[in-house]
Amino acid sequence: MTNNELIEKLKGIIAPYIQDEAAFENLNEDTDFVKDLKINSANLVDIILDIEDEFDIRLENEDMEKMLDVKSAMAIVNAKLDA
Amino acid sequence: MVGNDIVDIAQAQKDSNWQRPRFLDKLFTEKEQEFIKNSGDKTITVWQLWSMKEAAYKLYVQKHPSRFYAPKQFECVAHASIWKVNYKEFSCYLSIKKTTDYIVSEARLIPHKMTSELVVFKDENLKSQRQVLRDKLSERISKSDNIWTNTIEFQKSEFGIPTVKFDSKIMNLSLTHHGRFGAFAF
Repeated sequence: MTNNELIEKLKGIIAPYIQDEAAFENLNEDTDFVKDLKINSANLVDIILDIEDEFDIRLENEDMEKMLDVKSAMAIVNAKLDA
Repeated sequence: MVGNDIVDIAQAQKDSNWQRPRFLDKLFTEKEQEFIKNSGDKTITVWQLWSMKEAAYKLYVQKHPSRFYAPKQFECVAHASIWKVNYKEFSCYLSIKKTTDYIVSEARLIPHKMTSELVVFKDENLKSQRQVLRDKLSERISKSDNIWTNTIEFQKSEFGIPTVKFDSKIMNLSLTHHGRFGAFAF
């Protein structure tokens, strides 16, 4: 999967939880889930569960700790898919 | 130093399905899950424990500037009707207020009475809610410290930790908003 394909998949997963449309339209690797997209912290766990389902992976506590922006989500998914 | 967090129960019910598979296991320790299972109103208990963890996290990052997502590792523990949240060597006391509409939790390093003041929003827009909350807090500080509201300056650190500056004084505080409700404490 290319980085662009991964970002597109993540965008689809994140979409239901965003509260800032403009930031979502400009989504890139540096986009922060909470600061930029204003995602509620209780919904971060939904994003984590959706990512697990979409890619058929399981995230550990250490992975969850860093799940605050698109870049970290991409790194975690890539690492899990390579493992 | 204080951390607080409010949950609008109707909003939480709309935005989250805590019954979805693995949801509870991602956020709560085994003991907490057991406590939820045995509680009268599981939905209320889920959001109470959640808001306690959030309040404790907001206090923790003021003491240890950082940013991370580790709700499961902030464990809620009840000692004879006194709630504490523990994370590694960090520990804090919680006061909780529950109504049928919202739950607000307040974390401090010592046992305390709730000081968080509630704000009910008329507008659903996030940006305007944030402004209303700041305006109310400014009014409150200006009264208690006898200063002009326009000398109060809101700041946020790189980790998103809020402070207010006035009279060359920097004060820690906590702001929270969710759905129709907000609250602040300092």
